Amino acid sequence: MKRKSFGRDRGLTLRMLFTSGLLGVLYIAFAFALIEFAGVGIVGMLVIVGGMSLVQYFTSDKLALLASGAKVVSEQQAPELHAMVERLCAMADLPKPKVAVIDTDIPNAFATGRNPNHSAVAVTTGLWNRLEPREVEGVLAHELSHIANRDVLIMTLASFFAMLAGILTRYAIFFGGGGDRDRNGPPIWLIVFLVSLATYALSYVLIRTISRYREYAADRGAALVTGAPEHLMSALQKISSGIASIPQRDLREVETMNAFFIVPTNLKSSFGELFLTHPPLEKRLAALARISQEMGRPV
Amino acid sequence: MGLADVLFGRKKLKEAQEERLFALSTARVTLDVELGLRPGGRAAVVFKALSSGDFVRVENDLQELLDVAARDTGSRVSRKEDEFGFNWIVVEDPDLEDLVATVHLVGSELKARGFGPQLLASLFRFDGYRHPVYFVYGYKRGAFWPFVPTGNEKTRDNAKELELKAKLEAELPIEQDLTRWLALFDAPV
Repeated sequence: MKRKSFGRDRGLTLRMLFTSGLLGVLYIAFAFALIEFAGVGIVGMLVIVGGMSLVQYFTSDKLALLASGAKVVSEQQAPELHAMVERLCAMADLPKPKVAVIDTDIPNAFATGRNPNHSAVAVTTGLWNRLEPREVEGVLAHELSHIANRDVLIMTLASFFAMLAGILTRYAIFFGGGGDRDRNGPPIWLIVFLVSLATYALSYVLIRTISRYREYAADRGAALVTGAPEHLMSALQKISSGIASIPQRDLREVETMNAFFIVPTNLKSSFGELFLTHPPLEKRLAALARISQEMGRPV
Repeated sequence: MGLADVLFGRKKLKEAQEERLFALSTARVTLDVELGLRPGGRAAVVFKALSSGDFVRVENDLQELLDVAARDTGSRVSRKEDEFGFNWIVVEDPDLEDLVATVHLVGSELKARGFGPQLLASLFRFDGYRHPVYFVYGYKRGAFWPFVPTGNEKTRDNAKELELKAKLEAELPIEQDLTRWLALFDAPV
């Protein structure tokens, strides 16, 4: 007898496909506009963006650890944490990542790395001290699912052109400032500027949408690995409530790491959901509850 | 891992591969004669039951499994739960071949009841060295690795483990990726 896969969410799969498709169409249009109006050669463009993406991709594990002030800990320094990560990895059939600890009282965790063999998972001391072991396990399983799902790769690919568009909006004037003015119509730099701006704005929303879908996928992965979605649910609730009650000043130290954290620190955002990298808590809890129900059903 | 897993996230865990367990019976002579390791008569299967599953059904399934194992084999079989929420099925039998056969039976029975993807590992105890020597079988990997705890806090004797790996490689499917050599310090065997 085979168990069916839990949390198979056709709607989520379709939405992920649709958003990625939209982003792809947008980038093709953007590339076309750049080549047509700004006269940037395809080769030049690929070198700039490709180079930046490669650097980001290959240094992602070290960069993220460095930026968050996480320290890699040995098995002697944190035996229980290592044991927990090891068991979860064995269950998920993943190689063991580097294990790091961030010395801050805010409970949180993140994972990074370009592939499962070059990955790291970090937890804050606050997470370890404030949560029950089964809840920490749920959070770690969520982070390991990000590694299993290759989320750094996906997000690097997704932000490939968004980075270029971001740079061009700032430097459009230098790109098209001189040159052929004898053509009628608006100046080229203005077109480049507007196209880049539109691309950047649209891709910003789309990338965040993809990021939210990846969070649902990682929550589902955690439920599979631990077999106990309810612990991740209580952990998420504890983490979000803890974050809301701690003064803003402490939060600023870790603000750049938001996209990788299990619950982002700037929860007070007044923008709509479109601009968030993580889905709202209630929606994540609802999705986990659904998976939990499916698991309870007899096979 | 397929492309679909990367694009949409994993939807299920890898199924257990229990067939290569029997290699341990074949390696018995080498273990005994060349390495001086005698079967410790104890083994265990560790897995994680779904906590949100129907609790009564899981309990019934496991009880039924223990009954099947007790009826069909001469081994003593019991059940424990640990602090990590993992279930252990402990098997006792002085004969290594019977021990391996019962552990295999427990694994297949768990698989038949739908716990296949939740199977983590089984481990077999051997004596004859300063500390007990364990061979862990990873169900996801379909391979063995040695685990030699020193008994001194939670440390393991890596030198001995690597020596065992080198000496047994010809006979036993040994996990080549050392980062996968899961430690199971609190195993009830």
